[in-house]
Amino acid sequence: MDLEGKKILVIQTHGVDTPTRTYSPIYYAMAAAAMEMEVVVWFTMNGTNQLRKGVAEMIKLDPSSNVSLKTMLQQALDSDVKLGVCQQSLNLWNMTPDDLIEGVEIMGATSIIDLALGADHVMYF
Amino acid sequence: MGYAKVNECIIPTDLHIAVKDNTWVRVNEDGTVTVGMTDVAQSLAGPILHAKSKSPGTARKKGRPIATVESGKWVGPIKSPVSGEIVEVNEELAANPRLLNTSPYRKGWVVKMKPDNLDADLADLQIGDEAVEAYRKKIEEENIPACSHIEGTEDYE
Repeated sequence: MDLEGKKILVIQTHGVDTPTRTYSPIYYAMAAAAMEMEVVVWFTMNGTNQLRKGVAEMIKLDPSSNVSLKTMLQQALDSDVKLGVCQQSLNLWNMTPDDLIEGVEIMGATSIIDLALGADHVMYF
Repeated sequence: MGYAKVNECIIPTDLHIAVKDNTWVRVNEDGTVTVGMTDVAQSLAGPILHAKSKSPGTARKKGRPIATVESGKWVGPIKSPVSGEIVEVNEELAANPRLLNTSPYRKGWVVKMKPDNLDADLADLQIGDEAVEAYRKKIEEENIPACSHIEGTEDYE
């Protein structure tokens, strides 16, 4: 099966308050991108707080490793995974565009519907 | 195997290297090529947990993935340095993916391919001193840390 061009939407609703739920969705997104799929990770609800500047660096699931959540997010961006955040969630978390890490696209809440309808598969976390 | 060491990274001087994608090509006597990932690639990835190649018979244009490699912290493609058809995959990697770390240039070969246009594709790769210098530059420019061989490494002497 040639997966090139297939679209995957990953919806991340969990944030740094549940750190063990942060790495895997990004890793799966990277895996899909490695297989030439078009991948968007949509951050909403608590997922929004992962994207505040200075925060992801503080999440390190393996203290003996030099890998942090920031490493994972950067690796995803380097692998052409799109990171999107819900505008309304930003507001709820008292965040402005300036509070976001680089590379994140802000989209209106209903963009999730377009993304979901356009995806070949949606993964929820 | 002739090689140079740059920042503890082993760079063979008798293989064609795609420095940009961290892959290598060995031209075989029967006209096929063997393809793998470099020492820099394995060091950046860390201990490899899983490697899955495309099947024999798959046609690949240069730059498209021929395999996906997973470590604890990273998952990414091995991009084909040549255009051609995959004719054989290294079955050993399924059982022992760490060969990619310990023997990236020998036992950790990934696929063999029948190239479409080898001379043209090789012209875009580097070999010998050119490869070593290109890697030296890349390591400097991208701040690539000294290569680690956590899983051990075979003797290249």
